Amino acid sequence: MSKAKHFTREYVREEVLPTAFCPGCYNGVVMNALALAFKELGVRGLRNYVFVSGIGCSSWIPSPYIKADSVHTLHGRAVAVATGIKLVRPDLNVVVIAGDGDLAAIGGNHLIHAARRNMDLIVIMVNNLVYGMTRGQQSPTTPHGKVTLTTPYGNFEMPFDIAGLLTHTNANYVARWCVSNFTQLKESIKEVLTKYSRGFRFIEVWAPCITYVVRYEGKTPGEKLKEMREVCVPVSKYEGLSGEEKVKYVAVGVFKKEDKPGFIELYREYVARAGGAHNE
Amino acid sequence: MSKELSVGLVGRGGQGILFATTILANALFNSGYYVAQLQSYGAEVRGGAVLAYVIYSTERIENPFTESFDSLVMLHDVKIEAWEKIIVSSRVVIADEDMVRGPPPHAVRLPLIKVAAERGLSGKENVVALGCLAGIGVVGLDALQKVIPRGRDSSGNLAALRLGYELWLERKAKQVP
Amino acid sequence: MRKLLLTGNEAVAEGALATGCNFYAGYPITPSSEIMHYMARELPKRGGVFIQSEDELAAINMVIGAALAGARAMTATSGPGFSLMQEGIGYAVMVEAPIVVVDVMRAGPATGQATKPAQGDVMQARWGRHGDQYVVVLAPSNPQEAHDLTIKAFAIAEELRVPVVVLTDEFVGHGREVVEVSEVAEASSRRVEVGPQEAPFYSPDPRKAPPLPPLGAGHYLLVTGSTHNEWGYRDVHRFETHFKLVKRLKDKVWLNKDKLFMYEVVGDEEPEVLFITYGSVARSAKTAVRKLREADVRAKLIRLKTLWPIDVPELRKLGGEPRAVVVPELNLGQLVYDIERAYNPFEVPVVHYGKVGGGIPIYPSELVSKALEVLKK
Repeated sequence: MSKAKHFTREYVREEVLPTAFCPGCYNGVVMNALALAFKELGVRGLRNYVFVSGIGCSSWIPSPYIKADSVHTLHGRAVAVATGIKLVRPDLNVVVIAGDGDLAAIGGNHLIHAARRNMDLIVIMVNNLVYGMTRGQQSPTTPHGKVTLTTPYGNFEMPFDIAGLLTHTNANYVARWCVSNFTQLKESIKEVLTKYSRGFRFIEVWAPCITYVVRYEGKTPGEKLKEMREVCVPVSKYEGLSGEEKVKYVAVGVFKKEDKPGFIELYREYVARAGGAHNE
Repeated sequence: MSKELSVGLVGRGGQGILFATTILANALFNSGYYVAQLQSYGAEVRGGAVLAYVIYSTERIENPFTESFDSLVMLHDVKIEAWEKIIVSSRVVIADEDMVRGPPPHAVRLPLIKVAAERGLSGKENVVALGCLAGIGVVGLDALQKVIPRGRDSSGNLAALRLGYELWLERKAKQVP
Repeated sequence: MRKLLLTGNEAVAEGALATGCNFYAGYPITPSSEIMHYMARELPKRGGVFIQSEDELAAINMVIGAALAGARAMTATSGPGFSLMQEGIGYAVMVEAPIVVVDVMRAGPATGQATKPAQGDVMQARWGRHGDQYVVVLAPSNPQEAHDLTIKAFAIAEELRVPVVVLTDEFVGHGREVVEVSEVAEASSRRVEVGPQEAPFYSPDPRKAPPLPPLGAGHYLLVTGSTHNEWGYRDVHRFETHFKLVKRLKDKVWLNKDKLFMYEVVGDEEPEVLFITYGSVARSAKTAVRKLREADVRAKLIRLKTLWPIDVPELRKLGGEPRAVVVPELNLGQLVYDIERAYNPFEVPVVHYGKVGGGIPIYPSELVSKALEVLKK
């Protein structure tokens, strides 16, 4: 056996391993993508990072697993708490990791307003398509027709395209990747930490709940990954599909990439106009 | 404790009651008094009934909830039961001749709004009211002149103050038996 | 020291600034908005942070984030907004975030009479959250005290790592009076160094709050609203962890009652009639006590500056043995329940005198009449 530690080990609290995630849970893919991004960027220790999460399975990724300051907030309030932290400590990288229920349902207002403000935050929305922690109720991203605990006859509502929605706000960076796009996801994370390091940066990760979506479909995690390699198509290809076909596919890619000054810089200018100096 | 004196203004939203009361409080404060200014008005910016007043004393104000005013200017009738009691029991009341038809019977009625309009000072009846209060001796005319905003129409404000002051003095002269 | 003519709302803002408040998040709401306007004008000039949030849920959570990052942070609101903030205040209790929340009470429930004063949020300020949680509630009765108790609120919040609610009402908030404004108040009482036997969520002395190292200082802090152990690790199963935590959160406030319970007493030592009240109403009660005494009725007022925690035995000692107790409030009865714990209503009449709506105060003459009525004079 090799003595070399797995690359994630440097960035996780080893004392709390193994994780509480279900076997095969794609949260592990998100953790690996984050860790590999840090490693490839040469980040040694996450002292300049604060992770903020809400309530839900993916919110456990930073709390307690990532070895950094982490604030595990109320359900839906991660973006608001993260905003407070970032405004006081603009020097820190403030990263929100939470689920679709947390960010798009109960916290939806904070999400769109943070995007409108181009608040200097990185938000990773792990979209598992249901409320996984509470046994699989319908979420705002549950696909049409899907059977869940609260849509036992099939979801008759239409899902929210959150990345699409945020593309039309003032946010600087909006991307969506499926967990099958591991390399692209990792590169996106690196990009929002380096070249696009300001303003509101949003990455949606399509990571169907292994227990309440994948298992219910009668598939193994591996089979679902294989399926995702086919249905997660680049946005250019997706645009060419007919309306009927679109339902079966997921558009992935970077939808928006800008480098406008974020809220912090605009606030600094504002403060200077008022005759003050905002803390660095 | 030293005597606490109270002076009130009543009208409708849009007549500048709160503005005038603030000016009055500032003038009394600058004249060395402790003051307490309170007001009651509706959620709407214009049209609702407004009551505002200042209590002043040479010592800290014990209690700002007065049940009558030593002097009061009314720029409009009010139909609020709880205020009527206070209005009726107030000592010196000056009321606009045209806008205040109701109580109190002992009010001295002056054509504040009409004369203001005649002198090209429409909309400044609130400042005219302050001038009346200076006439009564609640506050020095000079103290008001010092704190009234000197914006584009500062001459208007000063003229309105003077007008109110004179309207009261004229009326008082007539009252002499 | 400057002597200014300020509304209670402006006085709150001046107090907050004097004590180094450098973060404000809020959502406009009558009759508290002037606090927000003042901070919007002043904080940027002083290099602080002002942000108008999308709603009160965001405001309270931004304030908590800012406090955890090291800021002296506050928000202000009124009834409906205060209701929305309750969940966040409970979170602040759990993660021990030092925050100050000002509630300028207006007539409710729901939208009620938005511009009219009331004192209907006393119970909400104490118990508005789910679960076992203890906060501190202060109630200024005039603009000067709004200024002074805001300064005190920050000191308590930081020393005990607890949310402090400053409960004013529309009369206090919009009343404009002479205020002596502090230039520089006491420095922060927040402890950031973790001492021996301590942890970010544990102090060996139950009356002392744990230290609060700020985020971003390399402590790899774990902050969570779930039940957690002394280092912040979540434990949502064990009885011991939960009970120990909520007991400590209670004790931190409860065992400091002697310091936190503040009041003013005026009138006769052994009264026939005792008034107990708070906020703007206490000013009419003070006048009533003076008038009763002028009419040879022995009267006393206990004016509470702290509405939570209340030291009931202390209150009983202060009050003596009156023939009747009158509790005037701009509501249908909230503080009166504490007074019924201090005085057995089957032995001593404890009379609530409540009135609310229309911007009508409780006048001294009403209280004099009420006192004479209950004394059957």
